[in-house]
Amino acid sequence: MSFPILPQRSIKPTLRKCQTSVRYAGRTAPAGDPRHEILRRTLYPSNLRNKSTPTGTWRSDVGRALQHAIPSVQAHETIERAWLLHQRHVRRQRDSELKRKFEKMKEAMDELEKLDKHLYFEANRQEDPRARSTKEVELTKTLKGSERKAMEARIRGLFPRELRVPTDTPPRTGWNYDWKPTGPASTP
Amino acid sequence: MLTLRRARASLNALRRGNATVAADAAPAISTSPPPPAPSSDSSSQSAAPPAPGAAEGKGRTKGRNRPLQTRRAFITLDRPREWNRPLAPGVLPAYDEALRLIRRDAAEIQREAGELERELSEKEVGEGERRAMEEKLGVLRVQGEVNLPEVRWRARNGMGEWFPLLFFSLSDLQQPVYRHLVEQRWRGEGALDLLMERIHQMHVVPDVLPDLHPSFDVRVTFPDLPSEDKTKKSKVKHHAVEPGVFLSPKQTRRPPRIYTTVFHTDPRYYTMILVDADYPDAENRTFKTYLHWMQPNVQLSASSTGPFTFRDSHTPYIPPHPQKGSPYHRYVLLLLPHPNPTETLNIPAPTVQERADFDSRAFMERYGFDASRGGAAHMWREVWDEEVSRIYAQVLKADEPRYGHISYKDAKETLYKEAKPKNKYAGYGDKYVGQGDRRRMPL
Repeated sequence: MSFPILPQRSIKPTLRKCQTSVRYAGRTAPAGDPRHEILRRTLYPSNLRNKSTPTGTWRSDVGRALQHAIPSVQAHETIERAWLLHQRHVRRQRDSELKRKFEKMKEAMDELEKLDKHLYFEANRQEDPRARSTKEVELTKTLKGSERKAMEARIRGLFPRELRVPTDTPPRTGWNYDWKPTGPASTP
Repeated sequence: MLTLRRARASLNALRRGNATVAADAAPAISTSPPPPAPSSDSSSQSAAPPAPGAAEGKGRTKGRNRPLQTRRAFITLDRPREWNRPLAPGVLPAYDEALRLIRRDAAEIQREAGELERELSEKEVGEGERRAMEEKLGVLRVQGEVNLPEVRWRARNGMGEWFPLLFFSLSDLQQPVYRHLVEQRWRGEGALDLLMERIHQMHVVPDVLPDLHPSFDVRVTFPDLPSEDKTKKSKVKHHAVEPGVFLSPKQTRRPPRIYTTVFHTDPRYYTMILVDADYPDAENRTFKTYLHWMQPNVQLSASSTGPFTFRDSHTPYIPPHPQKGSPYHRYVLLLLPHPNPTETLNIPAPTVQERADFDSRAFMERYGFDASRGGAAHMWREVWDEEVSRIYAQVLKADEPRYGHISYKDAKETLYKEAKPKNKYAGYGDKYVGQGDRRRMPL
């Protein structure tokens, strides 16, 4: 019975090519009885690693490319830590600035509440950005076709519905320099 | 431009990072003691190209006798090393910028820590506020150094802070930052997880003790089995035991060396016990715990690294002796914290019979040990070996029991002896010879 005791040190795989002292080559099967060849291949499989694996799990150029990209694990970890530290500083600064602004705003609103209740109520009112004034609604009733569509597409605080979707490649028809936006003159 | 950079990169790649400070390193390979501290993986961090000898050799021998890849020697107390930049300045601008940022931030935090320290010593503050400030000071002290690559490298490779004074310790735990990094490594990189996985999977927790939450690391080493090849004479090496693996009774004949990595600076008392969780109890057809070793009132702190051998221990070490025919035995080593960390306990040494009737749960309850508050644990497993027979003969001086199924042949000899059909006429010599079928009572 074997009693394996694994060492505490874990063995890290390196990017270098595996080297074994004994090399078993894969021979082409000779004509005749293949049993010897099958036995040999089963007991001593080929451990030559001189070309890429068929499915691409190991390639000879990947090690060199990785070594060039990440020349040192320690340097990579240092850069990673520095970047996270920088992000932490930026985040802290942003959060503290936001907190300061919020505190000041709250102070101001508390003062306003003490001074004038009506103004305080008006300052706290939330308005629906999609709401249209009565004048705009009446104007929409008079419009027709593309002008009406354009009116309905423009909502305050939101991107216009006619906005062109960004694509990877430019359109085949090219840029239309003569395009004019449709819309009534009273649109803000 | 690209070609220039490539040439410079290749030149810089030849310049090694973390070069040895002492150029006259001893060529002899010392058999270093079992690794108590984090493993040195400086080889994975250096960007060293393969040795130039390999390239030459390839040309000379045309690939027939390839020299095996060599690596730099591990960092030990005999072969110390100082931190050096892994990449030369200019090779990777991101790395240079990162170093600048980290050092600037570290200086800022250290300045803040200094100010807070001065404030604590000068100002008069309340109890609660003082505790909060001290906690903040501890955090600042750690954060002021934890990002520095030299500190992280030293923590990783077991080098202490006192290297310039030629007085280095493996993982100097007096400094809070090294304590923090070593504890983070123990908790985060899998050592504690592995131990708890084995403890729970092998049901040590409900069987031996109700709850366990280790607060520090304990490592145990036993000698390796001698190789079966008698012709090769090699020095017996001691290796650390992975929790839960099988050991041979030959290896555990002598008490192990115990190494601890404690994360609290104040000295606290612990009690060490080694119990066998699967000692067979034939009368009750169950298993009980057996006490193999006990040493109460062990004082541990961050400055005590060990190894602890406990030559004259309170309860002498009886080597593990898993009986033949019993399933594998689990051996659990526990370091239990005293209910009052500054108080010793008066625990009487148990007799041989008391060892066999040792109930670990009752023992813990009686003296107030609570393993969920801290402590340490380790475990391994064993199965019968010929060595157990020798242990029974030499150490226990008792007959070796055998458990398990009795074969039919053995059963005939022992259990069914009375039921065996007896030859009524055996032993009467020629008295009844020739009597035929005349029924006569024996005289």
